[in-house]
Amino acid sequence: MSTPVLTGGCQCGAVRYRVQGAVVNAGVCHCRMCQKAGGNFGMAYFGAPELIFTRGTPSAFESSPGVMRGFCAKCGTPLFMRGADGPYDMTVGSLDHPDELPPMKSQIGLESQSRWFRDLANVPAYPTSAAYDGREPGREHSFQHPDHDTTVWPDPS
Amino acid sequence: MTEAYRQLARSGGCQCGAIRFHATELRDNPHVCYCRMCQKAMGNLFAALVGVRHHHLTWTRGEPAEFMSSDLAARGYCRDCGTPLYYRAIGGEHLSMSIGAFDEPQTIPILYQFGIEGRHPALLHLAAIEEVGTTETNMPDEVGPIRDTNHQHPDRDVDHWP
Repeated sequence: MSTPVLTGGCQCGAVRYRVQGAVVNAGVCHCRMCQKAGGNFGMAYFGAPELIFTRGTPSAFESSPGVMRGFCAKCGTPLFMRGADGPYDMTVGSLDHPDELPPMKSQIGLESQSRWFRDLANVPAYPTSAAYDGREPGREHSFQHPDHDTTVWPDPS
Repeated sequence: MTEAYRQLARSGGCQCGAIRFHATELRDNPHVCYCRMCQKAMGNLFAALVGVRHHHLTWTRGEPAEFMSSDLAARGYCRDCGTPLYYRAIGGEHLSMSIGAFDEPQTIPILYQFGIEGRHPALLHLAAIEEVGTTETNMPDEVGPIRDTNHQHPDRDVDHWP
């Protein structure tokens, strides 16, 4: 069975990537460094031993010696974490289709795990349209890169 | 009566510490958003956000960069380390701040989930993703050096940084 080719990038589309081979070690890290890097409760990553950047070059912050965290300088999207000469651990949310990722297998960094993250399933849930009279707000005026590769970007039309 | 979590003055900032902020009061809407725009802006499964009215927020160090994600909204981030800091509707009365950027994010509750059309299926079965362990147990040789040498801003205000 063939697996889909995974592509992704930042929100503005200045940086795009393609995963060449199999992904490994998909999961969530709850540690405080991943939290703060992502401004969030935990970061979801997948390992991509073979990866190429197909547009642009990420910026990176060395969050501790030898460990780089990549992001887009033009829109801020967190893109990866990478140890010295190690494989890229890419952010799941930067994928064009995060639900095509093989199942996530592990949660680590549990010392900082938020109980709010654990209990999400018990919190009331609403669709985006609930707040906008059934419309999809902003979609028609969005500057977000579409969830597929493009030959020219930004769209000149 | 306003809930206690809202009245607690709080600080926060980006990972590298180039940007710091102080909020004197939160709005009553801490939530996660799964919409595809929040996902891609955060590079994550969702954004965790809480509103802070403009007059309750002070940027105490540095100024965020902004990306206009649509004609209707801008997203603030640190240009030096990338931490996503906020979403704001143009002309709105508050910034939706990234909860994880606050120094003690676990003290902010999550009251609702939004944009569930974009919720990743894994989040419906979170218990099926094995809880493997803490950083201390998984990386016993690295955890000390990381703690002692990392370049992340501490979870408190400091007079001088770096």
